[in-house]
Amino acid sequence: MSLLRVHGLTKEFGDLTAVDDVSFDIEDGEFVSILGPSGSGKSTVLRMVAGFEAPTRGEIDLDGTEIVGSPPFDRDVNMVFQDLALFPHLTVAENIGYGLKQSGVPDAERRERTERMLEMVRLEGYGDRNPAELSGGEQQRVALARALVNEPALVLFDEPLSSLDRKLRQHMQTELQRIQTETDTTFLYVTHDQEVALAVSDRLVVLNEGRIQQVGTVENLYESPESKFVADFIGDVNAVEGRVTAVADDGVTVDSGGDSVVLPPEVAGDVSVGDAVDVCVRPFRVRVAGGERTTERDGEFSTTGVVRSRSYQGSDSLYGVETDSWGRLSAEIRDGSFDIGDAVTVAWDAADVHVYPRRESPAAETEGA
Amino acid sequence: MADPSAAADAPSDDPADGADGPDGDRMAALTSFFRERPRLRTLAIAGPPYGVLLLFFAIPLLAMLVVSFQTGEIGGPWTLSNYTNFLGSSTYLTVVWKTLVISVQVTAIVSVVGYALAYSIVRFSRRTTLLLLLVILPFWTSYIIRMYAWINILQSDGVLDSTLNMLGLPAVSLLYSAPAVLIGFTYVWLPLAVLPFYASLTNLDGDLIEASKDLGAGPIRTFVSVTLPMTVNGVITGLILVFIPTFGSFITPRLLGGTNNIMIGMVIENQFKSAFNWPFGAAIGMVISVVVVALLILGTRLGGGLFAAGGEEA
Repeated sequence: MSLLRVHGLTKEFGDLTAVDDVSFDIEDGEFVSILGPSGSGKSTVLRMVAGFEAPTRGEIDLDGTEIVGSPPFDRDVNMVFQDLALFPHLTVAENIGYGLKQSGVPDAERRERTERMLEMVRLEGYGDRNPAELSGGEQQRVALARALVNEPALVLFDEPLSSLDRKLRQHMQTELQRIQTETDTTFLYVTHDQEVALAVSDRLVVLNEGRIQQVGTVENLYESPESKFVADFIGDVNAVEGRVTAVADDGVTVDSGGDSVVLPPEVAGDVSVGDAVDVCVRPFRVRVAGGERTTERDGEFSTTGVVRSRSYQGSDSLYGVETDSWGRLSAEIRDGSFDIGDAVTVAWDAADVHVYPRRESPAAETEGA
Repeated sequence: MADPSAAADAPSDDPADGADGPDGDRMAALTSFFRERPRLRTLAIAGPPYGVLLLFFAIPLLAMLVVSFQTGEIGGPWTLSNYTNFLGSSTYLTVVWKTLVISVQVTAIVSVVGYALAYSIVRFSRRTTLLLLLVILPFWTSYIIRMYAWINILQSDGVLDSTLNMLGLPAVSLLYSAPAVLIGFTYVWLPLAVLPFYASLTNLDGDLIEASKDLGAGPIRTFVSVTLPMTVNGVITGLILVFIPTFGSFITPRLLGGTNNIMIGMVIENQFKSAFNWPFGAAIGMVISVVVVALLILGTRLGGGLFAAGGEEA
């Protein structure tokens, strides 16, 4: 039995459909992120689960009970707000104890549980301070403690880490994971930041324009993205436009700029001759070698080009190579010895690419509608 | 004033300024003159308002204090009799007490009505500007004219009575009664309270309300433990703006309250304008000022204590 079951959730604001037929489940103890660009409807989903927005259609079940229609203060969920929304007129301890006070927990127990929460988020001795006196990271911890102390079935996060600098954000990510494991609470985290989502989540729900693009584990989404959007949104990808010129049992031939590649049928998927497709390959799957084009191994594809850009990424170097027939490709490799202007060969394994039928551009779609 | 150095440099850097050369030079000379004399600059900016305060507030107050210790006429011998006469008379003290009661009643009514009005403008309406304009609109008509309008409404066989009559209800003829005074004051001071209430409510972060509800507080508890404490500064400002002028008024109670609703402001006015006992009037004025200031200090202390640190960030 799933802890949270969202089924056919739809929210319309006038003519705009912000959330369109969204369904997903969350198991007890899971850390699930809803990932999507701004305007994808992810915050609206969260606000409907919290009870701040009423769905136009659809169901939200928490622990087997339908919660659509019940007010936020009657739901067994607590939210960590994007701007944290700590009460400035209350101390840190009063902020954390606020929910317990509302549910009538006796003073002594409230103090004890608040104290335990302060320990949990490593803010012992901060109870009497004002939230304004704390640093950004400390305020995050207070907001987290204020939600967790009520021992809700589900904690919701509305991008609370986005205001922190990178270093602190990474630190808070590991803290979140530690606290989630220690308290054995279910987390639903909303973010546009794929780095955060990949780092913390057990599973991801990728949302775009109000619709679910794909649901799966991090590895699952990264290794087998079902659409170009997901491939592009989760990690970086080279997407080359091509056309299917032949479909045979042993391979599908895709042509781009007069240069063709034969892909295994399981990679190419269900395409027919004449289809416009995007051939996608991750930069770290692309190899770069100096000099002339070498003969291709079986299942390998290569093309020649000129290095146009390079950037140092720590352990790797990222090259931008202008190829003769496949456009501009990024390659992330160990070897940092290539210079801008060098003639190189780029190659990748045909099994490492993903092929997606080319969708009409969104602009064309809206015009048609 | 934002950047005096830029202004000073402008004529030499910018050839377009050459057209009004002498003017630009004079401005540059002026700015550099003041830049080199920061104390003189402070004086030039802060001097005039302080001068006005000194001339029209501090000096008259001091004069009143001096006069209140004199007998009969200004320039007479020194005495405490004005104070002992006032504080020893139960008639006058009853008037002060009545004034206090009316002021508290008015402040309470205006706060509740004003807060509800400001709250509904902020939370439930999109036509904020229009509604605020309507709230301020009465200020465009003279106070006296508006009071006469109320006389018309409240007097026996006035607009109110004839309306009640039409509805088959008995006439109330409210004019020259305590309710008439309360109605008049509430009407006059409402905009004064709504504006600070409105300002503090618009500054209230809506996320805090949601956070409170998310943490299990219903609408009423959220109002009491978040909305009200977060807007306490605006509330206190509104209370002060209503309480002080009510305590000192004499026109509204005279026009609407008749002879049964004497307020202390009317007594003071009478001493200056009819009885020509300026020292006595000055003494009452001084006592009332001290009482009001004491109440103010008490009120802000109490308000600050009730909602510790209520939205008092710098």
